[in-house]
Amino acid sequence: MKTFEEKWTAWLDDQLTGKELEDFEASLPDKEAAEAEKRDATKLGALLKQELGAQPFSNEEFFNHQLRERIARENAQDRHGARSTWWTVPRLVWTGAVSLALFMICAVVVMREKTPSERSEYLTQILNMRVDPVVSPNATISVFETKGDRVTVIWTEGLQSLPSDYAAK
Amino acid sequence: MRTETTLAQADVSELDLVKRCQAGETEAFDELVTRYRTRIFAMIYNMVHNEQDAWDLAQDSFVKAWKSIKRFRGRSSFYTWIYRIVMNVTIDWLRKKQVKGAGVEFDDAIQLREVNPASKTLPKADPLPYERMERTEVRARIDNAITQLSPEHRAVILMKETEGMQYHEIAETLGCSIGTVMSRLFYARKKLQNLLKDVYENI
Repeated sequence: MKTFEEKWTAWLDDQLTGKELEDFEASLPDKEAAEAEKRDATKLGALLKQELGAQPFSNEEFFNHQLRERIARENAQDRHGARSTWWTVPRLVWTGAVSLALFMICAVVVMREKTPSERSEYLTQILNMRVDPVVSPNATISVFETKGDRVTVIWTEGLQSLPSDYAAK
Repeated sequence: MRTETTLAQADVSELDLVKRCQAGETEAFDELVTRYRTRIFAMIYNMVHNEQDAWDLAQDSFVKAWKSIKRFRGRSSFYTWIYRIVMNVTIDWLRKKQVKGAGVEFDDAIQLREVNPASKTLPKADPLPYERMERTEVRARIDNAITQLSPEHRAVILMKETEGMQYHEIAETLGCSIGTVMSRLFYARKKLQNLLKDVYENI
């Protein structure tokens, strides 16, 4: 839906056609005044075109010369800027890569040191001890220990009862 | 350097020049500048009414165009594309100047306040015989009248009346709808008819 302003502008510029033109012209309360304003608008357009259309432009060649120099300067600045950026970004990348590599090497070395041997992790020490031979004559207690991981597993067999004052020795 | 006339004779296609610019060839850009510098300078001058400012803004516009020429995809003509840059640069400059100087108020509101959209007739201005009016005076009157328009209204009326651009081209250049262009044209014409009636009546 066009506003009045849009229709009026289109009418002034002879852009309204067919039914749209008929409807718009029929809606004008004073057709003569509107036609007079249309003529005014045409005159205004002609005046603007005549007075503003041909603006003299002196020193045209100097304009191009100055522009070429500016563009050359801007290009040089851009190249310098790009070079600076190139130095910064690769340096950051290289620093990061070297740091990562060092970290990985350290991590691998440490992990290797901590890698358990293929032999059993524990059972480094087994202590078979009998508890009270009177109460549990066949009872045994085994202690499994891993030295590095600070883990101790106590395994008991044939234990009938555990004396209250029992303590593994 | 070649002149505009010889360039026209050379009939080098605009698209070809643009492609060469995109490849970084400054000589091709120089040719495009030569083709459009006069029209662009005139358009800016008519907006800002100062030769030095117009020169600087035209330079800024062309530098911007050079920097962004690789982004030109050819969806519109090069002329429309560079006009868009010119208008952005000039309207921004006018807005900043207005803020700095706190000068003449020009916005859409003032247009609406001063012009009755429904009015069909214009107030009769004081007659001023054209015979007594020097050409420079006419120009000064026009410049003064245009100064009272907002940057957007100036752009629309100048593109329409001096460049003969179509509504859709103006809309594309200013990045607004065709309806907005027509509406701005309506108010700009009303205002200028109001201010310049005695001038064009006597020509």
